[in-house]
Amino acid sequence: MKTRILGFVALVTVVVVTVIGLFVVPPDANQGDAQRVMYPHVASAWLAYLSFGVTALCGIAWLWKRDLRFDAVALAGAEIGVIFTAFAIWGGMMWGRPIWGVFWQWEDPRLTTTALLLALYVGYLLFRRLTDDPERRATRAAVLGIVAAIDIPIVHFSVEWWRGLHQTATIAAPDRVLDPAAPMAFVGTLLGFVGAFTLTWLYLMIRRYQLARAEADREEAARVERIVSARTVEAAR
Amino acid sequence: MTDAGFVIAAYAVILGGLGLYTLLLWRRLRAAPGNDDEAR
Amino acid sequence: MTELRAEARIALAIAHKDAIAELRGRHAMVSTLFFAAVVLLLFGFALGPDAARLAAAAPGLLWLAIVFAGILAVNRLHLLETDDDAFEQLALYPVARRAIYAGKALGGFAVMLLLGAVVLGAVGILFAVDIGSAWGPLLATVVLGAIGIAAVGTFYAGLTVRLRAREVMLPLLMLPVLAPLLLGAVKATAAALAGDPFGELGAWLQLLVAFDVIMVVAGAATYGYLLED
Repeated sequence: MKTRILGFVALVTVVVVTVIGLFVVPPDANQGDAQRVMYPHVASAWLAYLSFGVTALCGIAWLWKRDLRFDAVALAGAEIGVIFTAFAIWGGMMWGRPIWGVFWQWEDPRLTTTALLLALYVGYLLFRRLTDDPERRATRAAVLGIVAAIDIPIVHFSVEWWRGLHQTATIAAPDRVLDPAAPMAFVGTLLGFVGAFTLTWLYLMIRRYQLARAEADREEAARVERIVSARTVEAAR
Repeated sequence: MTDAGFVIAAYAVILGGLGLYTLLLWRRLRAAPGNDDEAR
Repeated sequence: MTELRAEARIALAIAHKDAIAELRGRHAMVSTLFFAAVVLLLFGFALGPDAARLAAAAPGLLWLAIVFAGILAVNRLHLLETDDDAFEQLALYPVARRAIYAGKALGGFAVMLLLGAVVLGAVGILFAVDIGSAWGPLLATVVLGAIGIAAVGTFYAGLTVRLRAREVMLPLLMLPVLAPLLLGAVKATAAALAGDPFGELGAWLQLLVAFDVIMVVAGAATYGYLLED
């Protein structure tokens, strides 16, 4: 029941901030209306990183405590993280085309890092499907998730270096929205989006976790079923 | 495409995607046996 | 301290065993080198025949060839274990997990070093690049790149060793993680070949060192979990 309320509140806040982002907040002096894309884009990116952080931490928790519920949260985090990563990339492209004139810019560290993030965690999800034993799968996934999480800051720094050594400061940075000197209206709208999306994220994580547990229970039941029927056949002989 | 077009495309895909995923989760949860976590 | 020496001895023993098996067995190094050569040839066809363009692209082509061939090499090193269930037996030894990891990574490093050196030479010839002029930094780059690929490759090969669809999963998982190494190695190579006009060679080599250290530590720390099944 509480989850349902959370979902409803999330929906309402998303609608509210969308209206604000699209119609209420003024366009940027330099970037015009294209700047509106930044709000959901940045919010999505933040939640992508949060999700993968959760996945890595839950992987560690599984290795430590051996409670499969942690693995279920890790799975939810990875799947939802992939979705928000895809949104972040899409947002980045929809912002990039009007601003840079191209959909993709190799020197933007956020965009490139996010693309690699997508590759890493799609790999994680595909990898999970290849192991049937729940404990073995949880262990392998945990290890994979930890190494993937370690790689992310390395990727980010290396791409920043890549850009820095090229000295093309003429590339407009999406960071402008995060600039401390930005007008309050922009910052406020961004925070609103982050809040609304975080509530949505929380709701989705809970639902996905429930689904993962339900499926785990079903797997377990099927396995017990197989053992029991095998034993019955044995006994009958 | 005007700037507005890109903005619409961005919002539509992101919000629409969230909606679709939510619906997908609902359907799969209904198909799977219910569990007691729901009560919390 | 003697514990560390014992671990080192074990690691060397494992690396030695892999090397002997490699030299003696059907899993020969030659096929990997040949694959790298074919990849370089195809790059020539795809991007040539303009020599200037190929020379400009040479650092990238060099490292792409090394990485792709490296995946094959790493895959093969762990294939040695799946035959006769050697991997399971390895896991039964009462030995520090990180020593096993070090041993396998060392073997991988030796293979990657040889691969890197040969491909470097081939690139010099095929794409008319003067590797002699900057052989010091180029060698350093190859060594650092070899360490990184071996460290990451050993880990992912261990992760995928008994998986269905291993042939596609290994590169799929490994390549995104190798992106920073690829970037650093290519940039360092390009800087070295150009005579380091912007003084950036040091920075890129530092990136490679940092990557190597982090990946070796992460691999050694987590390898035990891969052996526990």
